[in-house]
Amino acid sequence: MPALFILLSGCASIPPEIAELEASPASLELVDTPFFPQERYQCGPAALATAISSSGIEVDVQDLVDRVYLPGRQGSLQVEMLAATRSVGRLPYVIDGTLQALWNELAAGRPVVVLQNLGVALIPRWHFAVVVGVDTEQDAILLRSGVEQRRVTSLKTFLRTWRRSDYWGFIVLRPEELPADADRQRYQKAVAALEKAGRSEEAAVAWKMAINQWPGNPVALFGLGNIELSLGNDPEAEAYFRAVVERDAKSVAARNNLAIALARQGRYAEAMRELSIAREDASDPAIAAELADTEALIVELSRDAAAPD
Amino acid sequence: MKLSYLRQSLLQVVSLAIVCAGFAQVSHAGVIETGYLANQEDRATSIARVEVLLASAEVARQFEKLGVDQALVAQRIQALSNTELLLLEEQMDRQVAGGDALAVIGTVFLVLLILELVGVTDIFKSI
Repeated sequence: MPALFILLSGCASIPPEIAELEASPASLELVDTPFFPQERYQCGPAALATAISSSGIEVDVQDLVDRVYLPGRQGSLQVEMLAATRSVGRLPYVIDGTLQALWNELAAGRPVVVLQNLGVALIPRWHFAVVVGVDTEQDAILLRSGVEQRRVTSLKTFLRTWRRSDYWGFIVLRPEELPADADRQRYQKAVAALEKAGRSEEAAVAWKMAINQWPGNPVALFGLGNIELSLGNDPEAEAYFRAVVERDAKSVAARNNLAIALARQGRYAEAMRELSIAREDASDPAIAAELADTEALIVELSRDAAAPD
Repeated sequence: MKLSYLRQSLLQVVSLAIVCAGFAQVSHAGVIETGYLANQEDRATSIARVEVLLASAEVARQFEKLGVDQALVAQRIQALSNTELLLLEEQMDRQVAGGDALAVIGTVFLVLLILELVGVTDIFKSI
């Protein structure tokens, strides 16, 4: 008998820092949020389609199925939900797992994709849904969920199902938008991942947003340098890397990439000088390969330049 | 026997090399990615390029095993950050998959538990 008791009541109370809202906010609902009813096991692509199209991109659910669905798992992984957002040129940002953070994003007009466990720990039923509103009078959360266009879930039930995913949720940002409560480090990683996913144009816009928000932000300057470098705009890349070095003379990464930008402009001696300063400060074995490659590149380019045609 | 083992290992090395080549960034030699700097602030250890390549190959293998169309694997991997790749490489099985599927083991367990409680079975008392 005690076993059944634990099974049915395995829910401690939700800590107030998660469940409480500051002041007494009014109800709000993003009524224009589109709805994509899900197919079997495909709440991931459906929730993603809802959030992405609400950010202003037309989406094809089947295309999202191809990007996030794992047939062998009959579902979608959290990291792939983020990855698929990047692959359409939007910036996924994981919000703080609190009701207040949820509310702040809704107030900024952005629905929030959440992961819930609609079952219990022993019989989990993991489900992606999209929060589109909070009804503060009825103490309810409004969702696009499964095949229900407007699901009303009591706040208590919602928090209980959300807690099992550690209150995991994310928003889909247009590159020119910042999150309502932007955490600098988390935002930097989000944009770097967008850049790595090959969406440099969008990433460049986001890096400029970061510089507006946090003037002189070295990661943003470095990112812009890398984007210019990948486009072959070596003088522009040089300027960005120099700006990082000005702020942090010991930035091995910035000096290494600066050396590449210089070498590609035929300034081999300067390039070598930057690289050797980088080497003096380098203590991280993870980038030893890059430093070696940079040296090889400088040597190769200068040899090619010296060789008669 | 020994020869076939050698052949097999060679094949593995070659296929890994092919997969890795497929994921090699088109970016230019020597460039340090922005993600490196973004992670540096709060990470004790950083991720080397070779680790990323190996993780990509391993995650690709797991994706294919889980039924992802081969043509889609590379694009899905490219969209993952290095940190995410390493997470999947190390613990894909432990990652939750949101999809409303009920875990069969759990359901069976519940049925057994109810049967137990109403006295039909006697599985748990012997433990």
